[in-house]
Amino acid sequence: MAPPQRVTIRSYQVGFGDCFLLGFHYRRSSRFVLIDFGSTGKAKGAPSNHLVKVAESIRDACGGRLHAVVATHRHADHVSGFATRADKKGSGDVIAALKPDVVVQPWTEDPDARPDARRPTRVSQPGRALIGMLDDLHAVAGAVHKEVQSWPARSRARSQLSFLGETNLANLSAVKNLMKMAGKQQRYVHFGAASGLRLPGVKVSVLGPPTVEQTDTILKQRSRDADEFWHLQALAGEFSVSTRALLFARRHVLKGSPPRSSRWLLERLKATRREQLREIVRILDKALNNTSVILLFEVGGHKLLFPGDAQLENWQFAMSKPAVMKRLEDVTVYKVGHHGSLNATPKTLWNNFKHRGPANTPDRLQTFVSTMPGKHGSTARETEVPRRTLVAALKRESDFHTSQTVKPKDLFREVTLTV
Amino acid sequence: MPGAPKPRSRLLTVVAQDPSVRDPRGPRHRRILRARVEVPAEELQQGPGGYRVQVVDYDVSNDVYYKPCALDESGDAYEKKGDRTLLADPGFHCQNVYALVMRTLARFEFALGRRVSWGFYGHHLNVVPHAFADANAFYSPEDHALLFGYFPDRQGKMVYTCLSHDIVVHEATHALLDGLRVRFTEPSSPDQAAFHEGFADIVALLSVFALPDVAKVVIDLASAGKGRRRRRSEVIRKKDLTREALRRSGLLGLAEQFGSELSVVRGSALRRSVDELWPPSPRYYRDDPEFEESHRRGEILVAAVMSAFLDAWHDRLAALDPSGSGIMSRDRVVEDGAEIADTFLTMVIRALDYTPPVHVEFGDFLSAALTSDAEVRPDDSRYGLRRRLLERFRDYGIEPASAGDGAGNVGFWRPPPAGVEYGRTHFEQMRSEPDEVFRFAWENRDELELSKEAYSRVISVRPSVRVGPDGFVLREVVAELIQTLAVKARELHRYGIRRPAGMPGEVDVTLQGGGTMVFDEYGLLKYYIHNDVVSPTRQPTRLEYLWEHGYFRRGSAAFRRFSNLHRQRAAGQQVLSPEVW
Repeated sequence: MAPPQRVTIRSYQVGFGDCFLLGFHYRRSSRFVLIDFGSTGKAKGAPSNHLVKVAESIRDACGGRLHAVVATHRHADHVSGFATRADKKGSGDVIAALKPDVVVQPWTEDPDARPDARRPTRVSQPGRALIGMLDDLHAVAGAVHKEVQSWPARSRARSQLSFLGETNLANLSAVKNLMKMAGKQQRYVHFGAASGLRLPGVKVSVLGPPTVEQTDTILKQRSRDADEFWHLQALAGEFSVSTRALLFARRHVLKGSPPRSSRWLLERLKATRREQLREIVRILDKALNNTSVILLFEVGGHKLLFPGDAQLENWQFAMSKPAVMKRLEDVTVYKVGHHGSLNATPKTLWNNFKHRGPANTPDRLQTFVSTMPGKHGSTARETEVPRRTLVAALKRESDFHTSQTVKPKDLFREVTLTV
Repeated sequence: MPGAPKPRSRLLTVVAQDPSVRDPRGPRHRRILRARVEVPAEELQQGPGGYRVQVVDYDVSNDVYYKPCALDESGDAYEKKGDRTLLADPGFHCQNVYALVMRTLARFEFALGRRVSWGFYGHHLNVVPHAFADANAFYSPEDHALLFGYFPDRQGKMVYTCLSHDIVVHEATHALLDGLRVRFTEPSSPDQAAFHEGFADIVALLSVFALPDVAKVVIDLASAGKGRRRRRSEVIRKKDLTREALRRSGLLGLAEQFGSELSVVRGSALRRSVDELWPPSPRYYRDDPEFEESHRRGEILVAAVMSAFLDAWHDRLAALDPSGSGIMSRDRVVEDGAEIADTFLTMVIRALDYTPPVHVEFGDFLSAALTSDAEVRPDDSRYGLRRRLLERFRDYGIEPASAGDGAGNVGFWRPPPAGVEYGRTHFEQMRSEPDEVFRFAWENRDELELSKEAYSRVISVRPSVRVGPDGFVLREVVAELIQTLAVKARELHRYGIRRPAGMPGEVDVTLQGGGTMVFDEYGLLKYYIHNDVVSPTRQPTRLEYLWEHGYFRRGSAAFRRFSNLHRQRAAGQQVLSPEVW
């Protein structure tokens, strides 16, 4: 079949999350690839069934048939839309009915590589240990989420941690649906693996995530303590929130109010605990982001880069390959990583894009960011999402498309590339 | 009529290392190895709470306040108790942290010859033995506290970080070091970032080895050999105690007994220093990028000190067998090991007074240790600790910051510059008044090479009285002067300082420098240990490191909090990167 004549990129307004529908339009037919579908913060004015409306729009656009679903990683803001409902009217039910030919996920989601799996797997023992660790991360996120529910309602710390904790929960309904919807056509990919996408005239490359062995070739061995640390952290969280157990016999517990002399300290300790949990969640959020699938689509003179939420540690292996960096020089479409956060568009990568430049630059780079301010990070600490210095560079040096300017009732923005 | 004099100290039972290290020779076979340690006696209130330490047993994760523990005036209620009581009674946990923190404080005060403050404004350090369900323990200056977490292990058995001797001493050392050198937590070089962790590990490990009960275990492991049955005997064959046996079977054998779950909290400094960083090599410090990371770099410092300790202990064995019979008294070997650890401990703590007030590097610490030790303990012939320390640091690629004092003592700080003027200052006032010391510095600003553009301040004046092993008393006054110069990056060249590549000219750069002045008992300047604020040799390297690692970002301070350091190490996190926006 001849290559597609045009490519459409549709960026849905999902609030804080990602949902991109790529259309590859051939002379007689079209194939559609859905990259992520999730949200953890509704846009202002969006109705409660907004995600179902988005799913229905996807259904209508692709004529009831998806070629592929790519779930870059398991964060709720990327997969919550795949969740199903008992009455079969959830947004995930709509997507499942589109019967994708293939579902692509990172190798860390491979059910055969889980520590408790019985089927043989090609994933190595260190890789399986990493997958076990990710389970622990979800457990820690669950414990943090529960612990913060006992904090004063409406406190900023509670809403912030609830948001991050929720994002990192296991999202089991969505995960099960993803496993089921393509039957045996599941691809669990890593750097250099075949994507499983069949798009005539389009070269699709997987640039991330690296396997444990690939990571080890560029970094010193992954912290040997990390697996143990997260496992113990998960056990600690479980002890603390599920049992509310005492460490010692009840006779050792003080009855009545704590001594007045310790009031200041007790209040301080609560503040420190909040800070601690925030730090734990930040670390585990980053670890999961780094399992993101990074895809490069090459079609005609266009190169479309979709990195999910990959951060530096995920990018490092691809960036260590001169040939890959050479191929990335002439990227023409860049989906901005992790909603425009400070550490998901490595500066080396950005500076490597040759199509950056002022407004009159030929074939100027187009950038898409799906984001929502006020959900992640803090301006005071220069960690706000989207990071203003990055947004300034995107505006200055590319045709910048942000979901922030899409009204919920319009659902999406679409850009067409002629091949 | 005056009553009987009150005792100055008391003995309290503590866990010698952590509950996983067992006593192979005790009357109750394989019970938790414990020790009785001497701590200053004082009027205690419930908690226990004394004049410097308040134990508060509050669990913030579960919002539970455990009853404060009441230690009686002089007894040691847990001396005869079984393991079960030690683990299940929060009162013992409170006693354990109280005793170990007070012992560490007393150790610092003995070594430095004066009272030592915590690193925050206040007299009381709050110690919270069961602060939260978390695989973490840390010093929190904002809370005036040491906070210890707890967590279940894989078998569901609770692990208490407050029962780990080295973890408690490590955290207490952070609080004390922070009080002695407030600028050591600020961004500087990879060495300074590593120093807090490395130094706290050294104090913790030497504190453990200074307990004869622990030294006994090391000797038993070393003389029995790995996997062989230990025999109880009053004598040891010299040929069984080779240097390699002491290292591999003794120190490494003990490291392997340390609670493995606790390695996510404490790291593995002992194991790495006697195993992974063995044999010594300069490449770790000089060439290996892995050792630019602060925790890994701190391990080099630990390895250098621990191997000097090992050498000194092993070489001492010859003196314990003067007849050449090949048989030595086990108790003497143990005593000497504990004494060498204790002497080393005093030496490294004492060195702090002789370090510059800011931008410490490992070479500064080495020169400080050599010089300060010789001041109080001129005769080093018994153990040869200074010689071994110099040799071992060099084996690991660390050269002393000073070539020598000009009198043949390699690595010692040089005497102060000539021409220092004393005519307009009064030493009696200089013993305690920062203004008077500042006047001295002002009058001598040329001799002391102070920048005339920088803001200058004397941040501490500390008189000390130190007693040497021969009873000789050394009186000194140690004062720190800090200089700060705020410039734009584009102005750096005016001071001969190279601007880091890629740093925009409008970036605000705060240069820090200063010196430690050590005065003798006659008020004369004995040493002036300084890092100049506009040094064209050392400042550019620091600025490049800080710029490359993102320390100029507004939120970077959060990543350097003690509360986050252990977790970052355990989770293998890269925290600051030049790739971020």
